[in-house]
Amino acid sequence: MQAFASNNLTVEKEELSSDSLPDFTSESYKDAYSRINAVVIEGEQEAYSNFLDLAKLIPEHADELVRLGKMEKKHMNGFCACGRNLAVKPDMPFAKTFFSKLHNNFLEAFKVGDTTTCLLIQCILIESFAISAYHVYIRVADPFAKRITEGVVQDEYLHLNYGQEWLKANLETVKKDLMKANKENLPLIKSMLDEVSNDAEVLHMDKEELMEEFMIAYQDSLMEIGLDNREIARMALAAVI
Amino acid sequence: MFGLIGHSTSFEDAKRKALGLGYDHIAEGDLDVWCTAPPQLVEHVKVVSAIGKTIEGAYIDSCFVPEMLSRFKTARRKVLNAMELAQKKGINITALGGFTSIIFENFNLLQNQQVRNTTLDWQRFTTGNTHTAWVICRQLEQNAPLIGIDLSKSKVAVVGATGDIGSAVCRWLTNRTGVSELLLVARQQKPLIELQSQLGGGRILSLDEALPEADIVIWVASMPKTLEIDPSKIKRPCLMIDGGYPKNLGEKFSGPGIHVLKGGIVQFFKDIGWSMMELAEMENPKREMFACFAEAMLLEFENCHTNFSWGRNNITLEKMDFIGKASERHGFSAVGLQSNIQTLTV
Repeated sequence: MQAFASNNLTVEKEELSSDSLPDFTSESYKDAYSRINAVVIEGEQEAYSNFLDLAKLIPEHADELVRLGKMEKKHMNGFCACGRNLAVKPDMPFAKTFFSKLHNNFLEAFKVGDTTTCLLIQCILIESFAISAYHVYIRVADPFAKRITEGVVQDEYLHLNYGQEWLKANLETVKKDLMKANKENLPLIKSMLDEVSNDAEVLHMDKEELMEEFMIAYQDSLMEIGLDNREIARMALAAVI
Repeated sequence: MFGLIGHSTSFEDAKRKALGLGYDHIAEGDLDVWCTAPPQLVEHVKVVSAIGKTIEGAYIDSCFVPEMLSRFKTARRKVLNAMELAQKKGINITALGGFTSIIFENFNLLQNQQVRNTTLDWQRFTTGNTHTAWVICRQLEQNAPLIGIDLSKSKVAVVGATGDIGSAVCRWLTNRTGVSELLLVARQQKPLIELQSQLGGGRILSLDEALPEADIVIWVASMPKTLEIDPSKIKRPCLMIDGGYPKNLGEKFSGPGIHVLKGGIVQFFKDIGWSMMELAEMENPKREMFACFAEAMLLEFENCHTNFSWGRNNITLEKMDFIGKASERHGFSAVGLQSNIQTLTV
């Protein structure tokens, strides 16, 4: 469109410098990576277990769900290799605590046969979180991890898609439960992101960008399920208060 | 389908609009929340042209606000994400409005073609600059005589002459309008000399030198905030066409006989059932819009699904002819004196 006084746009071009890759060998990088890598490994491990549980809740789709779960196990092995490649020992106790609230909510829902909550947690929230984080990470990852993560992110869309399709097909009956589950679990995603934001920053992953990428994946997913703009806005509100 | 990517003129305005549209999650958020907000497809619209052709379009708010200009990465993401959304929605041709195309150009976003799983197809986007340039020229041709300026004797200063719109305006005025003399003003000398050579004329001057000589001033570079101009040095009458963004000329100039016109704004021949032009603070938001937005509509009316305006200094007279004829045929006219001109008094 119209021209513009360039002096107004001599904004922090030095910001561009953080587009550059971090020093993968530095101690600070390895220290931060020990937690981020562990979070990813634990996330994939729990996803594997969650899909096996989902297969019990939706027996008519058991084969597909087990297949999706096994993909998560494969991802986990890939991310373990990423840590080894950088000679980093993942901080698994940190990661288990990191996921504990969300994982407990999943297990509670599983116990009472609440498929809607289980799908929201695993297929919508966790997969959106993973997709957004992987997209941001790919741009700043070491070459080995970049190749692994590029393969993984494509698979994660399949997992998101499963949840979307089920919720879409059953939206009429599950909408109220979906909204309730979202209100309880979306804030956890926000606080989890806050918890790793400093480490992510060391890996040159902006917190703001991570959150925006998450909101895009989450919003796209809710739209695909069949919720309208106002419903999505109401649901997303849980992420900001 | 055509698309328009726009944004609010300020953060406060954006919050107010978001509340009205039911986007409570961002309406209640601070600027940091807005920085993480995804682009929103806020409105679908159907438009019937003056010759009865019907098209459909969508307005995408990038959730960018000018307060984010100091955050380069945020601004870049807002533009790219809005473009990705337009492409994902299958929109054939989308205009980059307001700061969107400025950010795209100034930060060279051509190098960011991959957005997540989407490879942006540049053919689906237009800056709309060809139509903007044509409209500015029409505004000059139509309005100068109304305030007593004889075009054949007039000196026209183009401030920002070497830019995409500025250079197109210079070519048009040289070849089609027949003004007495062009005064070429821009920051860098080298491109100015090249432009002068291409035009086969025009005088290169500084802003201070050009203003006292000009009967008409076309601003296609917005004014630096610090710029001070002594109104007593400006000719009377003088037509000032504000083709920059944001449109802030009116704040800088005052004095009887100085006429400031919002440049690059068109009016459709009848009301359009959208509410989004209120965001752009148009005087008549049901009909008025930026010419760059109208270019996307025109390309859709004409089934011309290509990045018609793209890159720098690619606007030819033939392209201006094409878009100008389409503009008139489908019911657009350049906003002029009656609705928009301001005669400012001290």
